[in-house]
Amino acid sequence: MDEDDAVGGYDLSIGYERDAVLLEDINMSLKPGEIVAVNGASGIGKTTLLRTFAGLLNPLEGKVSIFGKTKADRGEVGYIPQRLGLIRHASVHHNVMMGAKAGHTSAWFPFSKVCKHHTLEAIDSVGLMHKLRTPIRKLSGGQQRRVAVARTLAQKPRLILADEFLSELDEETLSMVMQKVLDYVKENNAIMILVEHDFERAMQMADRLFTAVDGKLVEIGANGA
Amino acid sequence: MGRDTLSKLPTSVELEEKTNHLQNAWFQWRYPMILFSLFVFAIGVTHSTIEGNWQKLFESPKNIVTFFSESLWPPDWSVIEPQAYPVCEEPKYLDFTCSTAWIGVLETLKIAFVATIFGMVISYPLAILAAENLSPGWISYPARTFLAAFRSLPSILWAILFVIMVGLGPMAGILAMTLYTVGYLGKLQYEAIEGVAKPQLDASRAMGHGWFERSFGVVLPESANNLISQAIFMFEYNFRHGTVIGIVGAGGIGYYINLYLKFLQYDKVFAYVIIIFIVVILLDLLSKLVRSFFKDDKQQNRPPWWTGLFLPAGWTKNLLRKED
Repeated sequence: MDEDDAVGGYDLSIGYERDAVLLEDINMSLKPGEIVAVNGASGIGKTTLLRTFAGLLNPLEGKVSIFGKTKADRGEVGYIPQRLGLIRHASVHHNVMMGAKAGHTSAWFPFSKVCKHHTLEAIDSVGLMHKLRTPIRKLSGGQQRRVAVARTLAQKPRLILADEFLSELDEETLSMVMQKVLDYVKENNAIMILVEHDFERAMQMADRLFTAVDGKLVEIGANGA
Repeated sequence: MGRDTLSKLPTSVELEEKTNHLQNAWFQWRYPMILFSLFVFAIGVTHSTIEGNWQKLFESPKNIVTFFSESLWPPDWSVIEPQAYPVCEEPKYLDFTCSTAWIGVLETLKIAFVATIFGMVISYPLAILAAENLSPGWISYPARTFLAAFRSLPSILWAILFVIMVGLGPMAGILAMTLYTVGYLGKLQYEAIEGVAKPQLDASRAMGHGWFERSFGVVLPESANNLISQAIFMFEYNFRHGTVIGIVGAGGIGYYINLYLKFLQYDKVFAYVIIIFIVVILLDLLSKLVRSFFKDDKQQNRPPWWTGLFLPAGWTKNLLRKED
């Protein structure tokens, strides 16, 4: 496997302070098109793991490799935090557009015609075309989650990091959103790491499943194996 | 809950043994106690500062009554009559627009408005530089010091400086107020920016947004409500201070107040003060109304804004509730 296509953590220790390591000796390597789910008790370091892969936090030890680099380029990583990180006073369109800009323009000149196309396409795909100009704060929890997913889809990242992005959705929307993301990952050979409490749902989506126990990340099985 | 779990719960006697009463009492009463000690301390400091001469304080009501009855009352409302020169060319029912009060208030409002707009535009970039969650320490600390420097001189001292630089008149007022607004609003703004929740910035950083996009595409819309309501507050604040800077010759109603203070015509000064008071109340209502459009959660059953003119908001809310 070519390292430039893979994402991985090697001998990784993560945490916020050196004397309070959350997870250590993490060794995981993800190949294109792969979805990995992580579960475990709250406060054990799952979100910290995603933040480390997102480049928001430096690993305490070991190294993170994002497509052969220590830090991802602009637009390569799409991150859906647990609290979504949407701009609450801005419209659905603006929020999704921020994703499209990250994915399809340069930081020095963040304007391009293709952004608009990707934005509308992504909003349409999660079924929120009728809420285009509505500010996020006026949407329901489930709708907000769909906007966060649309932002990531519009960005077309190579690595998606999603922190419990399927909670608060009703059954119908859940399967629709889940399918969109799965399709995206498979079609574009992207990589996805998702934190998911619901074991069944995690097995449904992921190719491999990791569990965080006692400061270690243990691979507990591959889907279909 | 099963029988087993219930039997494991501690009894009240066990709970009693576990608590430390002294610690609890301190925990419960610490804030009132700290506040009370501070209050006593402040009285002590006052006592030492005035060298125990409390007599002055107790004599003061007598003085104010004398001053009020002999010099202030009744206010001289000739200030809203047209000036003798230049001759008023407005129709009769509009002749109050030639009065010194009207001209002064309008000029002060203009100065406050212009200074707020200029100040806001200049302070936002500085506030971004000063915000610790957007800029590294070696940029944010100098930017903060810079803003603090503008703020450290009160607007009246800036006004004196600018009167020396550009001469008497509203120009000096605008410049002085703008500088002060930059310092003051900049501080409010960078605090609002630092209050932007972490997930928004995290998502933006992970996506790889540049500094420009993050500042104007994420932080600006996210804190826009705060920024607008701060700017409206600042306008109101600038009007109140605009009355003061006129005293040093920087234009506005303060100029006239100073003029009549010099001639000891306190009854006219009192009329101006009443007018300023009315305008400030009107501005306060207006800013409350405008700011209510930018609040997050609209109250249901909000009484119409004009009821605030006659009754405290709480009363009207209660009245409305009874109607339901």
